[in-house]
Amino acid sequence: MLPRVVAGLAADGAGQFQAAALLKPASLKPVRHRRNTRSRSMVSSNRRAAIEFVLDHLVWFILIAVLALFSLTIPNYFQIGIFANIVEQSTFVGTLAIGLSLLIIAGYMDLSIESVMALAAMVVGILFAKSGVGLGIAFTPEWLVVPISLAVALAIGAMVGASNALFVVKLKMNSFIVTLAAYIWGRGLVVALSGGRSAQELPAELRFLAIQRFLQIPLMAWIAIIATLVFAFILNRTPFGRHLLMIGGNPTAAYRAGIKVDRLTATTFVLAGAIAGLAGWLLAIRTSGATANLGVGMLFQTFAAVVIGGVSLKGGVGSLPGVYAGVLLLASIQTAINLMGMPAHFTQLIQGGMVLVAVLLDTFKLSIRKRLA
Amino acid sequence: MTTEAPLLRLENISRSFGAIQALRDISFEIGRGEVVALLGDNGAGKSTLVKIISGGLEPSSGRVIYDGAERHFTSPADGKAAGIETVYQDLSLCTNVDVVANFFMGREIVKKYLGVPVLQEKAMEEIVAKALSDAGTKIPSLRTNVEHLSGGQRQAIELNRFVHWGGKLVLLDEPFAALGVEQTRRGLELIRRIADQGIGVIFITHIMSQAFQVADRMVVIRQGKVAGDVRRSETSADEIVQLITGEALGGRARSIDQDNGQAHPAA
Repeated sequence: MLPRVVAGLAADGAGQFQAAALLKPASLKPVRHRRNTRSRSMVSSNRRAAIEFVLDHLVWFILIAVLALFSLTIPNYFQIGIFANIVEQSTFVGTLAIGLSLLIIAGYMDLSIESVMALAAMVVGILFAKSGVGLGIAFTPEWLVVPISLAVALAIGAMVGASNALFVVKLKMNSFIVTLAAYIWGRGLVVALSGGRSAQELPAELRFLAIQRFLQIPLMAWIAIIATLVFAFILNRTPFGRHLLMIGGNPTAAYRAGIKVDRLTATTFVLAGAIAGLAGWLLAIRTSGATANLGVGMLFQTFAAVVIGGVSLKGGVGSLPGVYAGVLLLASIQTAINLMGMPAHFTQLIQGGMVLVAVLLDTFKLSIRKRLA
Repeated sequence: MTTEAPLLRLENISRSFGAIQALRDISFEIGRGEVVALLGDNGAGKSTLVKIISGGLEPSSGRVIYDGAERHFTSPADGKAAGIETVYQDLSLCTNVDVVANFFMGREIVKKYLGVPVLQEKAMEEIVAKALSDAGTKIPSLRTNVEHLSGGQRQAIELNRFVHWGGKLVLLDEPFAALGVEQTRRGLELIRRIADQGIGVIFITHIMSQAFQVADRMVVIRQGKVAGDVRRSETSADEIVQLITGEALGGRARSIDQDNGQAHPAA
């Protein structure tokens, strides 16, 4: 972690001098206060604020532009049903993206979320689905299956998260490798538990969440939206979120200031796992059960959405509403592909491209910010 | 200069690493509101000394008397709790959050709603604005991320934060190494203002002119010993260079050692 900090500092230092040189010719206004030799802070402050605003909310601008473009060029795109469908599709990636964002903001990585989601979905399927590998456990009153299955899914996610935290925080292993391993064994466990078969027919009390709609949007999509808002609040308005940003920005400084860096990091891994468990619960409800290959490929969609949504891979930067916008953006593109009748494999090509574009955008934004600094 | 008890007094501090003696019988003191420049060649033992003062290292022998009592700091956290801190340039700030967030890092003001702690941004901003204006520091906007501020402004934030949270003795290790001429001038002014609030400042530097601009006293370390402890008004750059390099370690340095001995008869 330290080398990263030091490299960041060195880059900052270089950026400052560069910035002073680069911004001067661009500012046409005369320098008002002569005695201040460093003109950058005042002359360009408005302009800088404007550029910052655009960079911070870039994904929303892109989303609006893309929706406008599709609405104008693709027949039948512009209708409430389509937009509601985009929101519905965003449920799972949107939920997964919350946990991934928190960890990337804190300066870590979690590749395990997709498998954790599938594992939680499969366990819920096996315990509560009525056919296939499902055991069909039922309760009286029957609605009890809702909180109990949710608790099971969250607990499974939290357990995998805790195991990731153990390796990363206690044993100081690289989070990329640790969570890559969990990504692999998690999926392996799904296949092993189900024997490659599927579980079908979850009880109606659970299915209710996928079927019942409010403002044309199914309840489970609202759950994803509410979770995003809750965690956005936690990130922006509570000490926990503030400290997470600080750890992502400069863990040494956070540690020196008395912030319990290790405990906070471990908590975030557990949270990310539990949120992936929530996504698995929602996905099981949506598909009314689980298959062994449920949700394959969602990791990369989530990753793309998070980065497009403005979370910097460098850590310390990002907002959850932005990430949700990134999820919506991907879903709108996917919907456009479907509506245009393009073959499904194009989706994957485009998604691969989107991941690249997202990382490119991140780099691009970073260099603009450097110039502004 | 100080008739009352000094803020920090080191008595016969020695520290060895195996067979190597890094510090031998170091004794000096610093009063409240005093600025002491710690000078010495590379490897003279300055860093070891700074670590001992801040709690990063324990001395092999000798006494550290701080704020009227003997102390045994075993970690920088101990030192920090007592109000002694080394301020490293940039290492103590999170540049990705704003000035207010940095000022309150780890000690945010919160109000609980239904058991959920919520940051009180307005209250925090007011306190930071007051602390900075009291110290005469001007930052264009407290809501700017620190990455957009200059090196001098960052240092000002760190030092003001230190003072605000009850710091009494600050150690600065080459504080102006990365700063330009103008920023260094402001940094030196800042050190003076910090000291005027009753804080003891020890700063390590290689640059003689900086020491002469701001220090009340200069302590020269050579080969692990105090080679000189002189008031700025009673010395010259030439003499300090001689003390650092060890040439002409004549009558003057020896008499200073005696002065130093007289300063604390209790020893």
